[in-house]
Amino acid sequence: MTRKTVHKAYFIKRSFGDWVFTLLNGAFFTLFTLLCTFPIYYLFINTISDNRLVQAGLINFFPVGIHFENYISLLGVSELINAAGISVARTVIGTLLMVLASAFVGYLVTQQKMLGRKVIYRFIIITMYFNAGLIPWFLNIMMLGLTNNFLGYIIPAIVAPFNIILVKTYIESLPKELEESAFIDGAGYFTVFRSIILPLCKPILATIAVFGAVGHWNSFVDSIILMGAEPRLYTLQHRLFMYLNMATNLGNLMETTGAIREQDLAAALNGRIISLTVSMVSIVPILMVYPFMQRFFQKGLMLGAVKG
Amino acid sequence: MSYTVPEKKNKIKASDMPMILFRVFLVMVFLSAFIAELNPARLSGLINRNVTLFTCATSYSTIGRWFVRSLNQGWIEQPPLTVTYIGALICALAIALVAAAFCLSLGNNKMRRLSITFSWGAAILGAIGTIVLLYAYTLFTDSPSPGRLEPILPMGIWVYLAMFVVLAVYALLLYLKLIKTEAEEQYELEPKYRLFLMILPFLALVLLFAYLPLVGWRYAFFDYTPGIPLAMDDFVGLQWFRFLFNNPAQRAQIVRVMRNTLALSGIGLATSWLPMLFAIFLSELRSVKFKRTVQTLTTIPNYISWVLVYGIAFAIFSTEGFVNWVLLNLGLIERGTNHLMDGSHMWIKMWAWGTWKGLGWGAIIYIASILSIDPQLYEAAMVDGAGRFKRMWHVTIPGLLPTFFVLLLLGISNVLSNGLDQYLVFENHANRTTIEVLDLYIFNLGLASGGSGNIPLSTLIGMLKSVISVTLLFGANRLSKFVRGETII
Repeated sequence: MTRKTVHKAYFIKRSFGDWVFTLLNGAFFTLFTLLCTFPIYYLFINTISDNRLVQAGLINFFPVGIHFENYISLLGVSELINAAGISVARTVIGTLLMVLASAFVGYLVTQQKMLGRKVIYRFIIITMYFNAGLIPWFLNIMMLGLTNNFLGYIIPAIVAPFNIILVKTYIESLPKELEESAFIDGAGYFTVFRSIILPLCKPILATIAVFGAVGHWNSFVDSIILMGAEPRLYTLQHRLFMYLNMATNLGNLMETTGAIREQDLAAALNGRIISLTVSMVSIVPILMVYPFMQRFFQKGLMLGAVKG
Repeated sequence: MSYTVPEKKNKIKASDMPMILFRVFLVMVFLSAFIAELNPARLSGLINRNVTLFTCATSYSTIGRWFVRSLNQGWIEQPPLTVTYIGALICALAIALVAAAFCLSLGNNKMRRLSITFSWGAAILGAIGTIVLLYAYTLFTDSPSPGRLEPILPMGIWVYLAMFVVLAVYALLLYLKLIKTEAEEQYELEPKYRLFLMILPFLALVLLFAYLPLVGWRYAFFDYTPGIPLAMDDFVGLQWFRFLFNNPAQRAQIVRVMRNTLALSGIGLATSWLPMLFAIFLSELRSVKFKRTVQTLTTIPNYISWVLVYGIAFAIFSTEGFVNWVLLNLGLIERGTNHLMDGSHMWIKMWAWGTWKGLGWGAIIYIASILSIDPQLYEAAMVDGAGRFKRMWHVTIPGLLPTFFVLLLLGISNVLSNGLDQYLVFENHANRTTIEVLDLYIFNLGLASGGSGNIPLSTLIGMLKSVISVTLLFGANRLSKFVRGETII
């Protein structure tokens, strides 16, 4: 009898505290989730609403006067089309080569017979922990003739030590017998790689492909540093960076000088809309591959997170 | 019962010595193509001192670039340049043959014979290349105004000529020593060499893009004249070190930059437990669907670049943005301002953006760790009467601490590397003094000023930063080994 009451009292007390806790907890996470998503939504509604309202800063929660002319007008800006082309090209080519190289090198370093295997593996992996610094890196790429050159986006990013670790760990978790039986059947290293390792490694390769693609799509510092003299090779994000700088500076000019020249105002406000629209265009591909990332990232992260 | 392979002793036989030396020699010849001082194609003082034979041979424009003015002024015609390029190209082909000869020399007897044939080919081609370059040199000296072209006979030509002669002779000696092949012998390469050759191209890439930049540290010890793209004038020893530490203005700059760097890293480290807390409370949510939604949506910011984050910041915090609308409607301000141009509280603002971008992402690793904690521990704690918070404190947090510890140590070793992207996009003239972290400072000092940056000084600062970072990393690793008996790298 006493026991039952005690238990009941405990239960009631706990459930009340529980209720408050759950409420507060849920409220916090709802708020934080909104904080993470509302800005992107805000960006979006500002690109499809009536431009005059956007310029007056009056679009806050719901789009008004929906139109898509901002997006259509971007199609007429040749430097943007070009930049988007460069971004897509480097993302596709760069990711493809990086994934293939990671898979191949990851496979090779699992082969015990290789001459100096351990030394070679360390030689590759240790590069994760040091770098010469920005300036020597730039001078080196310049010396190799890869500045103002599309290959400057691709070649330096082919060997990615972290991804090699991921692939190597993954291959080591596969049953060894598959490989061995293929060798017994007389297959060479390339054959084993192509017809056994590659198909089996699909999950991990998908993971590094998605991360590599997002990395390529998002990078802009290399475009700024390496492609200075070749505007045709600027990436989309580099262009966006320039637009945003321009829009910020123009807006600031009007504020500080007070003297508003009409063309400045027009340029600043236009700059705002262009910047917002280009931002949205750059975010969309990431949101599109996002569901795939969700599926893969936990696995990929866990594999690598165990050690550096 | 499986058989065991007896431990093979990797003893080098004396009879193999000539072959091994031959391989080493081939590698040296190959690497010489990447040493700027040995560039045989630098026939004129106008060609940059840092250009390697490899660069000369891979792009014609590399040579042409230095002669734009000379061509315009009519001091030189196109032919000498073309001949130089052709000479460089032939030399580079010879070098490629040397590389092939190296690969073949790892094989069996038949392959080694082929390797020797390749070596001869390389020697002949290389000799032709150097002769073409010598001819190009005479074209330079015979040009209308040789004084302006500064023709030089680079040491590289003689070095190359000597190398190719030695190569030919060495190959001949080896050829005499080699056993005759039998007709039915096949080309064969041991698996250990085959695998090695397969990975070799990737090792070359690693060498080129991760190790070769280290050679660039020498810029910290040289003086360099702006205007001439990266031609090194003089060895100045430790002059830039002294400048960095003795020049009062420079010292003040560094102190300011270091303050920003350490403050931002410090705030980051002091709040590095936030993702852990985030994960713990997230795992307390009842509804799996809600949990999943929160997790999905809060990781989105991690995947967008800092430019896009700035785009979002621009949308919300600029004059026509959301924040001003809210403040205006609350009557807190009379007129909208551009908050991005406000240079106050930069450290906190930068931390806030970093947290906005990284909190959800940072929590993932802890969420995964929580899932791997033994549920029996929770049950036991519950039986003992531990409430929710007691369970968090006594079960969850101890379970997460190892992960936290590793990340904290990595954070400490990265204390000087805040990254460039975030600060580059948020930087403007109003906030420069408080936002400039070490990475951004190096960028601004060396690269941003359009070719007139202080390359030696920025290289030096970057070098010191790298050395300190690596030291910190190994220190952290040592500490981890000492405290937990496990290394982090």
